[in-house]
Amino acid sequence: MEMFLSIPFLVFLPLAASLLIMSPLFTSNEISIRRFTKGIIGFHFVYMILMLIFYNGANPYESQLHFFGLDWIQSLGVKFKFRLDGIGLILSTLTSFIFLMASIASKINIRKNHKFYYSMLLLLMFAILGIFTSADMFMFFMFWELELIPAYFLIGGDWGVDYSENHKKSAVKYVLFTFLGSMFMLLGILLLHYYNYVSNGVLSADFWEIMDNSIPDGIQYLIAICFLIGFGVKLPIIPLHTWLPDAHTNAPVPVSMILAGILLKTGAYGIFRFNYQSLPESFISIAPILAVFALVNIIYTAFVAYTQKDIKRIVAYSSISNMGLILLGLCAYNQLGLTASVFHMVAHGLVTSGLFMICGIVYLRCKTRDIDSLGGVAQKMPRLFGFGVLIVLASIGVPAFAPFIGEILTIISALFSEIGDVMKFVSIFSLPLLIISSCYMLKFLHCGFFGKLSESFEKINDISIHEFIVLASITAGLIIFGLFPMAILNFVGA
Amino acid sequence: MINDIFNILLPQVCLGIFIFIQLICSMFLSPKYFRYSRLISAVGISLSIVLLTTVQTEPQYFGFKNSVMSDSYTLLFQFIILLCGFFTVLLTRNLIRERKQNAYTLHAVLLTGIFGALNIVSSNDFLTLFISLELLSFPSYFLIAAKRGYYSKEAAFKYLITAAVSSGVFLFGVSYLYGITASLNFSEIYEIIIEKETSLIYVFASVLTVLGLISKLAVFPFANWIIDVYKGTETSILAFLSTIPKLALFGILCRLFVFPLSSSFELTFVILILSLITAFWANTYAIRENNVKVILACSASANSSYVLLAASLVSVYNLSTVIFYLICYVLMNIAVFAFLNITENNSLGEKIENFSGLFHKNKVLGASYAISVIGLAGFPITSGFVAKIYLFSAIANSGLIFVPFLLALLILTVVALYYYLKLITPMFRKCDGNTGVKVLNAVYSQKFVLIFCTAVTVLIGVYPDKLIELCRFIAYNI
Repeated sequence: MEMFLSIPFLVFLPLAASLLIMSPLFTSNEISIRRFTKGIIGFHFVYMILMLIFYNGANPYESQLHFFGLDWIQSLGVKFKFRLDGIGLILSTLTSFIFLMASIASKINIRKNHKFYYSMLLLLMFAILGIFTSADMFMFFMFWELELIPAYFLIGGDWGVDYSENHKKSAVKYVLFTFLGSMFMLLGILLLHYYNYVSNGVLSADFWEIMDNSIPDGIQYLIAICFLIGFGVKLPIIPLHTWLPDAHTNAPVPVSMILAGILLKTGAYGIFRFNYQSLPESFISIAPILAVFALVNIIYTAFVAYTQKDIKRIVAYSSISNMGLILLGLCAYNQLGLTASVFHMVAHGLVTSGLFMICGIVYLRCKTRDIDSLGGVAQKMPRLFGFGVLIVLASIGVPAFAPFIGEILTIISALFSEIGDVMKFVSIFSLPLLIISSCYMLKFLHCGFFGKLSESFEKINDISIHEFIVLASITAGLIIFGLFPMAILNFVGA
Repeated sequence: MINDIFNILLPQVCLGIFIFIQLICSMFLSPKYFRYSRLISAVGISLSIVLLTTVQTEPQYFGFKNSVMSDSYTLLFQFIILLCGFFTVLLTRNLIRERKQNAYTLHAVLLTGIFGALNIVSSNDFLTLFISLELLSFPSYFLIAAKRGYYSKEAAFKYLITAAVSSGVFLFGVSYLYGITASLNFSEIYEIIIEKETSLIYVFASVLTVLGLISKLAVFPFANWIIDVYKGTETSILAFLSTIPKLALFGILCRLFVFPLSSSFELTFVILILSLITAFWANTYAIRENNVKVILACSASANSSYVLLAASLVSVYNLSTVIFYLICYVLMNIAVFAFLNITENNSLGEKIENFSGLFHKNKVLGASYAISVIGLAGFPITSGFVAKIYLFSAIANSGLIFVPFLLALLILTVVALYYYLKLITPMFRKCDGNTGVKVLNAVYSQKFVLIFCTAVTVLIGVYPDKLIELCRFIAYNI
C-alpha cells in the first residue's frame, strides 16, 4: 500500500506541474496550459478518491522523506514527515475537488498571463496539500508561509478582468495580516518545541509526540493563545477578519472559490491540529471563551452580511459566519462536535465556492455586483437560476442538503458539550443564524434574480458548458452529502 | 615569530603581498590596463582562500605573545569574509571603469579593508583589535567616497565622524577594562574577571566597549549614518560594507561576549534594549521610503539588531544560530546588491518605480533578485526561512523573560515584510506594451555572483542540515 499510494507523490505532483508550466520550455499556448492543468488536477482528484477508498482508519497513511539518510534538520529534530488521518484525507480530497472546479472556472475568468496564473494555482495547491498532510510543526509552518506567495500573486495579479490598484492593496493586506498571524504561530511553535524538549526529553516537532501534560500551565496558555491568534487570522475570528471581505471581493472568481472553499479551512484545521489535538489541557480551559468569540462570529457577521450591497461581499461575510459555526463545533470538544465541524467544512467549502461561482457568472454578464442595479436576471438565465436556487437553499440550511446536517450537528454537539454552561448558552443563541442567513441569502436571490429586467441586461446569455459543469458538480456534491452524511462522518469517527 | 607567521598568518601575508602588487601597479602601469586590477585582486583573494588550509586550528593556536589566535571559529569567519570579498571584487567592474586612473589604488584599498577584517576576527587582544578595526575603517572612507558626486563625499564624511566618535568610546571602555585587570589580552581579562565580583565600573566599561564596536553594525545610538552612506555609495562597495564589517564585528563580538565581557548581566539588557530600539527604528523608517538603497540600509540595520539580540544571550546554541544566520544573510545580501549593481550599470535609477516590469524582460535575473529579497523577508524555500526560525528559536530557548522581546521582533518582521514586498512588487507590474522596460545588460561576473548566491540560498533553504551541523561544531569549539 505504501508504495502504491504515497503521500509525497500526492503533495509534490502539483509542485512538479507548477515548475513545468513555469519553465520557459513549456508551451505558452493558453489552451494547452489550461488542459494540462485540468488534466493534472483531475488525475490528482482520482488519486485522492483511490486513497479514500483504500483508507484504513486503524492504520493511517504515513511516509517520511530522508535527505542523505538523515532527517531534514537533524539538529532540531525536524523531520520531513507526512501523515494523513481521516480529517486530513477528507480535507485534501476537498482541496483537490475545489481546485478542479476552480481550474475549470478559470477558462472564463482569466484572460491574461495564463502561464503565471496556472503555475501559481498549482503552487498554491501544493502548499495547501502540504498543510493538510504534514506531521511536523516546522513543516506545517513552512507550508503555511509558502502558501502566501502564490496567494499574493493570485489575489493581486492582473488577469485581464477589471484590474485596479485595489487588488494589489487587498493582496498586501491579506499577506500582512496572515504574516502577522503566522509570526504569533511561530512563537508558539518555538516555545512548544522547546518546552516539549525540556519537559519530555523528546527532541521532536511531530504532532503525535507532543505531550502537553508535563509542560507548565502558564506556558501552555501562552502557547495556546499564540496559536489561536495565528489561526484566528486565517479562520477568521472576529476582530481579525478585516482582510477577508477585501481579498474575496477583489480576487478573481476561481481564486475566491479557493480562498473561501479551502484557505479558511486551513485555519480551522490548524486549531484542530495544534490546540485541540496537541494541547488539549489548555484548550478545554480556553474553549468557553473561544465559543463566545464563535458566537460573535456567527451572529454579528450575519447581520453585517445582510447590510452589504455587493453580492460578493455578502457571500464573503456569510462565509465568516459559517466559519464561526465550525469553530463552535471544535469548541464543543466532543467527538460529535469534531465530526460536525469537519462535515461543515466540506459542506461550506462546496456551498461557498458555488456561490462565488454564481457571483462571477452574474458579474461577467452584467458588469456589476451592486445588488440594487441587478434584478430580473432569472428571465434571461433560467439554468443559472435553477442552480442558484438550489445552492442558496443549501446555504440557508434546508434539509436534504449538506450544510443542514453540518449546522444541526454542530449546534447539537455544543448543546451536549461537557465544557460548561457557556456552551449551552452559545448553542441556543446561535440558532437565530438559521433565520438571519435565510434573510441575507434570500435577499441575494431575490434582488439578484427576480424582479423587473433592466434594459441593459437584454442581451445576456445563459451559462456555458464549463459553468454548467462546475455548478452541477457542486450541487451534486451538496445533495450527495446531504442524503448520505455517513460517507464523511464515518471517516472522522474512525 | 616566523613560526607564528607560518602557522596562522599565511592568508593575511598573501593578501598583504597582493596589496603591494596593486600599489606597485598603480605607480608603474598606465591607466589603460585598469582591467587587470580586478583580476589581481581576485587571484589574491583566491590564493588567500587556498592558504586558509595551512592555518593551524586544532588545538587553538596563540601567536605573537597571545595577541593573535586561530581556531576553527576564526577560520570559518575568515573563509566567509574572503568569499564575500571575492564577490565584491567581481562586482567592482563599474567602479573601476568610472575611475580608470585610480583602479589599482581602489583595489589596494579594498584588499586592505578585507585584510583588516581578517585581523579583527583573529585578534585576541584589545590593542590588536583596535588597530585592525581602524584598518577596516580607513579603507571604508575611501571606498565610500570613490563614487563621483557630492553625496558620496558627504556619506564618507558622516561615516568618518561616526567611526571616529565610536572609536573614542571603544577606547574609553577598553581603558577602564585595562584599569581593572591590568591586561589587554582577552584570555587574561577573562581569567581575572571570573574570579572577581562584578563591579559597576566593569559593567560601565563593557557597555562602552560594546557601544564602540556596534557603530559599524548600525545599531542605535550610532545608527543614523547608514541611511546617508547607503544613499551615496556605489553598489559594489555596498556589497562590501553590508557584509564584511558585519561578519568581522559579529565574529569578534561573540568572542567578547563569551570571554572578557561575559560576567556582566546588565550588558545583556542594555544590548537587548538597544537592538529593540534599532529594530523598531529601522523597520518603521523604511515604510515611507521609496529609494531601494535606503530600504536595504534599513533592512541591514534591522537584521544586525536581530543577530545582536541573539548573540547577547550567550550560549553555544545561540552562537551556532548567529553564525548560521550571518552566513545565510550575507549571501542573500550580496545577491541583492549584485542585482542593484546590474541595474546601476544600466543607469536605471534607485527608486522602486524604476524597477517596474523588469521581470518580464529579464526572467532569470529578476527571479533571482526576487528570491533573494523573499529570502531576506524570511519565506520558505530560501535559507532566510530556516535562518529566521533558527535564530528566533535561540531567543525563545533562552528563557521566558525574553519572550516579550521575541514577540516584538516578530511583529517588527511583519512591518519588514511590507517594505520587502515594496521592493519586488513593481518588478511584476505589467507596463502597457512593456515600452519603457529594458533588457538589462550584465556581464558574466555580475550574473555569476547573482545566480550563484541565489542558488546557494535556495540550496541551504532546502537542505540546511549540514551547515547547521557545521555551525554547531564551530560554536562548540570556540
